[in-house]
Amino acid sequence: MKKLHLICLCVCCAYVTPAQQPILDVGLRLQQTINLYNENGFSIAWSPAKKRHDKLYLGFSYATSRLGSAFHSNAIKQDNLLVSGAWFLRRNHIIRPFGRINTGLFNASYGNKLFDDLPSKSLLLSPDVGISFETNHPLKIATSFGYNLITGDGLSGPGTLFPAYYQLTLSWNIYQPRGNNKEAAAIKKKW
Amino acid sequence: MKKLFAACIMLVVFSGCGKDPAVPADYLGGGVLKDSSIYFPQNYVLSVSKPNPTAAEALKPVIITCHGYSASTYEWSEFRAWSAGQTDYLISNVLLAGHGTTYDEFKNSTWHHWQASIKAEYNKLKAAGYKNINFAASSTSCPLLLDMVHEGFFNTASSKVRIFLIDPVIIPSNKSLSLVGIVGPVLGYVESKDEAGEQKFYYHYRPQETLQQLQSLLNVVRTELQSGFSLPQNVYMKVYKSKKDPTADPVSAVLIYNGLKTAAGTPIDLEMINSSLHVFTRLNLVPNVTAADRANQLYTFNDIVMRIF
Repeated sequence: MKKLHLICLCVCCAYVTPAQQPILDVGLRLQQTINLYNENGFSIAWSPAKKRHDKLYLGFSYATSRLGSAFHSNAIKQDNLLVSGAWFLRRNHIIRPFGRINTGLFNASYGNKLFDDLPSKSLLLSPDVGISFETNHPLKIATSFGYNLITGDGLSGPGTLFPAYYQLTLSWNIYQPRGNNKEAAAIKKKW
Repeated sequence: MKKLFAACIMLVVFSGCGKDPAVPADYLGGGVLKDSSIYFPQNYVLSVSKPNPTAAEALKPVIITCHGYSASTYEWSEFRAWSAGQTDYLISNVLLAGHGTTYDEFKNSTWHHWQASIKAEYNKLKAAGYKNINFAASSTSCPLLLDMVHEGFFNTASSKVRIFLIDPVIIPSNKSLSLVGIVGPVLGYVESKDEAGEQKFYYHYRPQETLQQLQSLLNVVRTELQSGFSLPQNVYMKVYKSKKDPTADPVSAVLIYNGLKTAAGTPIDLEMINSSLHVFTRLNLVPNVTAADRANQLYTFNDIVMRIF
C-alpha cells in the first residue's frame, strides 16, 4: 500500500512540475528534397529531464519516398534512417530557433537486376537549421532547411541522394499532459 | 554592421546578375566560330539537302541525330563519318536552337526552343514524304524526345518511328544543378571542365539561364516518368546507358525503365554499357580512349542501323 502511495505521489509531482519531466516528442516528418522527391515518415525526439532540459534533443527519424513521391508511382523507393542531436535556443518561448546534426543511412531500391551495379546505399550526414513553434499544448511544429554533405553522383553514391531539403515535423510531447497546465502556460507565454 | 552586411549581400547578388563572360574568339560562342551546319546546312540537314526525295529515297530509313546540352552537331560527327559511303539510309544532323552559335543566343534560348528544332526537322521530312523517320539522341536530347512521346507527338505518325537514346539524362551527376535556381543568379554562368579542343564544339561558358532551363526540362520529364506513360503502337525505343556516366547519372536509366512501357505494357529495351564516358558514342577529343570504348561505339552504331530496317 505504501508503495502505491509512493507511486501516486511521484506521478502527481510529475504532473505539477512539468519542467522536471523529460520530453518525448513523437510525430510525423514531412520532407521535400529540392528538385526531387517528397519523403515522409515519423520522428522521435527526446530531451532529458534535468541537465540541458528542453535544449538538447536526441532524435531518431525515418523518411521514405514510399510514403511520398513513390506512393503509387514510378519514383525510386528510397529510405532515410537518421539519428540526430539538436540544440534548441530560447527555452520557454513560442518561437525557438534550433540547429541539428543528422547522420544515418540511405538506401534506394531500383527494382530490377539490370541496375544491380549501380550504387544504392550511402551514409547520411547533414546539418539542418530551423524554427520550432511551441505552445502550451504538447503540439510542436518544427520546420528546417537541411543540407546533405554526402550526395550521390551515380558512381560512388546513389544518384537520388540530393543535397538540399526542407522538412516539417509535427510532433506531440507524450509526457506533457493535455488540458489545463497553468504552470506551463505561465512559463510559455513569451514569444 | 547590419547595413554593411546587407550591402555586401546586395553587392554579391547584383554583381552576379547579368554578368557575361568574355568568350575567346576561338571558342564556340565567341561570335566567330559557329557550328558547321549553320554555314553548310546542305551537308547536315536532310530537309535542306533533299527537300524533294524520289520515291525510292522517301522509303529509305532516315536517322535524325540530336545532340546534348551545350554541344553541337559535332557530337554525332563520328556516326556521320562511319556512315559515309553507304546508301541504304540517310542522316539528318539537327542543331538545337541556341546551340552552336553565340553565347547570347544560347542564353536566350529555352528548352522548348531546343525541342522545337527536333520537331521542325521531323515535320519537314514528314511533309517532304519520307516514310521511315527515326531518331538517335544523346544526353539532353533524350528528355526532349521523351517529352515529345509523352505529349503524343508521334501518336499520328503513319510509319514506325524508332528512337535510340544514348546516355539520357534525367538526373544529372552533378547535384549542384538542383540548386541552380538559388545560386544561378549569383553566379551568372558556369565554366565547364572540357578537354583540349572541345571548346570549338561545346560551349565552355554555360549561362545560368540555360542551366535553369535544363533543370526545368529534367523536372518535367522526371515527373512525367514518375506518373508513367507508354510508347504509342508505332514507336520503338531503345536506351543505351553508360554504367559509369560521369555527367548524366546512371540512375536516369532506372527512371526511364520504370516510367516508360511499350504499347503492349512490357518494359522497353535498355542496355547498360560497360563504359565510364558520357555519350560513349562520341570518342573524338576524348583522352585515353580504350579498345573497349571503340568496341562500344561500333556495337552501338551497328545496333542502331540494324534496327531501322
